[in-house]
Parts: sequence; C-alpha cells; structure tokens
Amino acid sequence: MILNTIQHDALVELLNIGFGRAGASLSKLTHQRVLLEVPHVAIHPISQLTHSLGKIVVDRVATVHQVFTGPVAGDALLILDPVAAATLTELLTDVPPLSMDLDPSSREVFTEVGNIVLNACIGTFGNILEVPVSFSVPEVDVTSVNLVIDRMLESGDAFRYALIVTAGFRLRDSAVTGYVVIVLTVQSLKRLIEALETWEQRQA
Amino acid sequence: MDADQSQHAPFDGAMLQWLEEQASQGLFTTDSDLVIRTWNRWLAAATGLPASRVIGQRLLEAVPSLLDRGLDAHYGDALGGQVKVLSHTLHRYLVPCPRATGDYMSQTARIAPLRFNGGIVGTITVIEDVGERLVTETRLRAQIAASEHARAQAEEASRAKDDFLATLSHEIRTPLSAVLGWIHLLKAREPDAATVRRAIEVIERNAKSQLTLISDMLDMARISSGKLRIEMTAVDMAAVASSAIDAVRPAADAKSVRLVADLPPGVSIVSGDADRLLQITWNILSNAVKFTGEGGMVVVSLRSDNTGSHLSVADTGQGIEPKFLSQVFDRFKQADTSAGRLYGGLGLGLALVKDLVAMHGGWVQAESPGPGNGSTFTVHLPVRPAGAEATAARPRPAMAESTLKGIHVLVVEDDSDAREIAERSITDAGGSVTAVSSATEALLALTSSTQRPDALVSDIGLPGTDGYSLLTAVRGLPKERGGAIPAVAVTAYASAEDAKRAINCGFIIHITKPYVPNTLVTAVRDALDGRI
Repeated sequence: MILNTIQHDALVELLNIGFGRAGASLSKLTHQRVLLEVPHVAIHPISQLTHSLGKIVVDRVATVHQVFTGPVAGDALLILDPVAAATLTELLTDVPPLSMDLDPSSREVFTEVGNIVLNACIGTFGNILEVPVSFSVPEVDVTSVNLVIDRMLESGDAFRYALIVTAGFRLRDSAVTGYVVIVLTVQSLKRLIEALETWEQRQA
Repeated sequence: MDADQSQHAPFDGAMLQWLEEQASQGLFTTDSDLVIRTWNRWLAAATGLPASRVIGQRLLEAVPSLLDRGLDAHYGDALGGQVKVLSHTLHRYLVPCPRATGDYMSQTARIAPLRFNGGIVGTITVIEDVGERLVTETRLRAQIAASEHARAQAEEASRAKDDFLATLSHEIRTPLSAVLGWIHLLKAREPDAATVRRAIEVIERNAKSQLTLISDMLDMARISSGKLRIEMTAVDMAAVASSAIDAVRPAADAKSVRLVADLPPGVSIVSGDADRLLQITWNILSNAVKFTGEGGMVVVSLRSDNTGSHLSVADTGQGIEPKFLSQVFDRFKQADTSAGRLYGGLGLGLALVKDLVAMHGGWVQAESPGPGNGSTFTVHLPVRPAGAEATAARPRPAMAESTLKGIHVLVVEDDSDAREIAERSITDAGGSVTAVSSATEALLALTSSTQRPDALVSDIGLPGTDGYSLLTAVRGLPKERGGAIPAVAVTAYASAEDAKRAINCGFIIHITKPYVPNTLVTAVRDALDGRI
C-alpha cells in the first residue's frame, strides 16, 4: 500500500505538527532550543522491515518502545544508533554518558525523550482520528537491530505495515538523526489514511 | 458484584494494602479530578505528609510545586491516556521530599492513567529514590575522569620525552659536527699553525660543551632518583662567585660582554657543597653571558642579611617574556623551542639550579622587566646554622703543572683511544708507561715486569674483571710484589658513591673521564706523594 502525494504530504504535515510539539516540550525541559524535523516518511509492508530498516541502521541500536491500543493500535519505536543516542543525551543534559550502552541515568533521559516523541506522534494521530489512544509504559533497550526487527515480526500478523519516519533533532549547532517506526495493522492504517484525507479536505 | 469479582476482591485488597504499607517506592493515585485517593506509607515518610492529611485533597494543592514547575501538564496527559516518564537528570524530583542534608531526594517517576472497565478513572504515580544509584554513577564518573587524567598526563609526559629526545640529539650532534668538521679540515690538507690552533680551540670548546650537557643530564637523573648527595661545609660565596666568573670570562670576552663583580669577601659564609654552589653560580652566570648580546654587561653581586646570603646575577641581555617567567626553571624549557632557535642547550641548566638550590634549603628567583630589558637571577641561601665551621672552603684551585720524571706507570685501560691519551699524558710529563687492556694483563705486568711500576692508573669499567676487583687483588699481593702500589682510579661514573667505592677498594685518588692531561699527571703525583 503506497500513499498518494496528497496523503503523503498530509502525513508529513501532521507528523511535523507532532514533532514540533515534541521539540517544544524538549526545549522547555532542557532550557535550550530543540528543533525536531521530519525530513522523510516511508511506508512498507512489515515483511520489508529487515530490508528498509537494515539500510538505515546497522548492528546495534538504542530503542524506546511503546505499545498503543485503541481504535488505532500498534507498536511505536524510536530507534537511534547508540552513539547518536549518547550524543543526543549529552547534548540535552550536558552530562556525558558513561558508556555507549548508556548508563541508567542516560537510559532514563533517552526513555523520556522517546516517550515525548512517540506520545507526540501517536497523540497527533489520535487527535485527527478523534479516537482515544492508550499507551503502555515505555521500554528502553540497547540491542541488535535484528533482534528488534524479529520482535516486531513475531508480535502480530504478517499483513501489517511499518511507517518509517526520519526524525532529525537539531540542537546546539549539532544534528542527530533518529527514526520513528510505527507498526500498524491494515485496519489501523486504512483508518489513518481515511482520516488523513478528511483532514486534508478540511484544511483545503 | 459477580462471582468472579468477589473471588478476586480479597487479593486486590491485599495487594493494595501491601503496596500501601510495604512498597519501597512512592505510590499515589488520584481520581479524574486529580483529588488524591491513595498515598502510601513510603510517601508519607518521605514527604512528611501523612495520608490522613492529603487524601481527599486536590493534588495540586497538596503538592503545589507541581504547578509551579509546570509538571501539572503530565497529569492532564495521563488522563488523556498517555504514560509519562520523568528522568532524574531532567527533573531532579517530582514530589519534593526534603532530606536532612537540606536538599531534596533524587527521584525518577512514572505517571500513568488508571483504567477501570475500559475507561480512565484517574492517575497513578510511581516514584523511585535513585540517590544510591547516582552516588555509584558519580563515583564511576570520578574514576573515569581520574583515569582519563592519568592517560592525558602519560601522553603529555611521553610528548615531553619525545621533544627532549629530539632536542637532545640535536644538542649532541651540534658540537660533534663542529669537532668532526675541523678534524676533517686538519686531515684534508697540511694545516698551518694558526689553523691548528683554531681547530684545537673549536674542538676543545665543543667537547667541553658536550661534557657540560652530559653532566647536567646525569645530575638531573641523580636528582630525579634522589641519588644526588651534597656534602655540607662552610663555603664563602664570594670565593665561589669569583671562581665562576673566572670560568665564564673567556666566553664573555669573546662576545665583549663586560663582567662586573661586587663581591665583599668573608661576609657571605653559607653552609653548602662548594662544588655544587659553584655549579649553581656558573650555570646562572653562563646563561647570562649566553643571552647577553655583544657589548652588554653582566653584574654579579653578593649581599648578606639576617635572612641569609643573596647572590644576584643581572644582565643587559634579551630579557624574559612575563608569561615565560614562571616556567624558566622547568625542565627542558626554553622560551624558543623552534628548530631555528638562536640559543643551544637542553634547557636543563636552570632546572638543575632550582633543584640544587632547594637541596641547600634556599630558593632561586628570576625577574625581568620584559623582552629586551635584561633579567636578574637571585639565589637566596639560608643563614648558616650556628656552630658550623667558620673556615671558608674555597673551591679547589687549579693544580700546578706536575712532573713524573723517572716514574714508571702501569696503565690499565681497555679503550685504545683512552689508553693512548693516558700514555701520552704521562710520557709528556716525563714518565714512562706500561699499558695493558685488562685486569689479567695488569696483574701479570705488576708481578713479572722487569721494570716494576711505581704507580697504577686503572679504568674501572674493564671487561671481565673490573677495576674494583683488580685493585682488591692487587692489595692482596705482598708489598714487595706491588701490593702497596699507589693507585689512581679513572671512571666515567662521576657520582660521589663511585668515588667512595673506589677509595674503599684501595685506590688513593679517583678522577672522572674526560680529563685534561694535567689532571691525570697531578693525580699520579698526589698518589705517589700520599697527598689526597
């Protein structure tokens, strides 16, 4: 299932609203200007997750994972290279992490950042769909990218879709790139696309 | 309540009771109006707010700082279905729990919607004390910082060593190339007397400069390893300064630098090692001459007061940059370390001065009004302790020319060049020589020679049996077979310990390489006469 241009642009615009909100929260929290941009969005069948994610992250990754439930349900992950996660944590807090695998305090900060970004993304979907969305407690992990993909593949049916959103953090003259992966059922994606169209028409 | 619910009820109640009474985390719940509904014992103890007071109260009234710090929004989000995590690093704490130390308990927190029958009925907050974890992390950070610091220091030391080695090889090669160059000139064509004289001057000056370099390095190494000993006697600083001035006068004259001395004799008697005090003064003085341009002036003055003796060397030379002033006594430091620098040297001289002065209980001071305005170095030495000998030991005067007419000397030296120099020194003074290259040959020459030697001159670092063992063997011989022969030790080991060991073995005098011929001749003469 591929989005048409109008749907794609509407999705990017919506995600930008969500990311803008997340950036504002992070700015307020860290007392510095944090910008969060969406330079790229793609949707693939979940069977292609290994291929599409493997192209952008190799080896190990730091992830924050939240399950969301409600009329639109799925998994949401913030995925960063561990070095990028450590850099982002340090830029936000001024405290260098003790290791690449992130010490407990750095993991906590990374979890909070992931929580803010994922809440903003999924929350925006909930808003346009005008449906309540419930979240699980965020879980942080530093592990191999293959393990993350395997867990995703095993957690539900094979006919789901993965929305891969590039997340560009900009702060203190530095840029850190991460990825938000949202895994949706066909049903949920269909509802989301319909809502996108409605939202787009309303905007027009 | 249906049957299923009634079966679960006692367990739900029991669990809630356990969480309220026993949990090692803070737990509280609110309803959808954010009115506090439960508040566990841990929280009551940590906040000092008993459950009886806060339950039924609105959260933002019971904990007003949530509103002040903008944390109330998280409760709105939780009521909207979101779970929020609050890290310690970004928030420090959620609910203020004052500690005896005057600050607040370090916390992480989770705020989540409380669901019942598919709807959100309120919020639940879980608070954890992370104080101990932070202590561990801080300790780990300190350890990492310390090891980083140690690594940086090691790298710095390694860099300094590399710089030093580069300077050292340059400094050793420079005089050598002058020596080799002139030797080449002497060999290449028949030199006239003036050329020979000039060649000898240059070779001598460069060899001496290399000797100073190596002596400084050895002294520095001895100071570093704590092996440098100073022998304290009463010393007249005026005499020391005069000797130092005599030593640098040729260099000063060559540059037309005027040396002016103001040295009232007898007023500055200090307790110290005469040779080392001469070394200190010579180093400062030769530095002053080195950095003073043609036609300049160096003034050496001495004064004494109740704090001690103060020797100043002031010059009209190039002066010192204020920022470099504090580093002039650091090892291997010269203001200009570029490859094309104007002045040679390892930058050890002033470092040695500082250490040697400190070993005398004194201190040395460098002052300069800035580049181009000259500089003044002052050595402050403490007042001589009461009861010390009042006689001022003057550094040993240069020895008079000696003669070895009719004296037969046995020379033991494995290095052929060094052996030749010893032979020539003795024969030029009128003596005769049997020269051998090992201890075995020496014993043979001593016991079987038709012309019994009158004196023995032996190198210490001989291959196989060394000079110490040789002399022990010699002293074991009967007197008529040479057992009492006056003996002179010659070594490249210049420490006081080496000299002491040589004397203990039975040598009468110990001299160090390199030496000028007169030193060896005088030493043999003194050994023969029993003068030491």
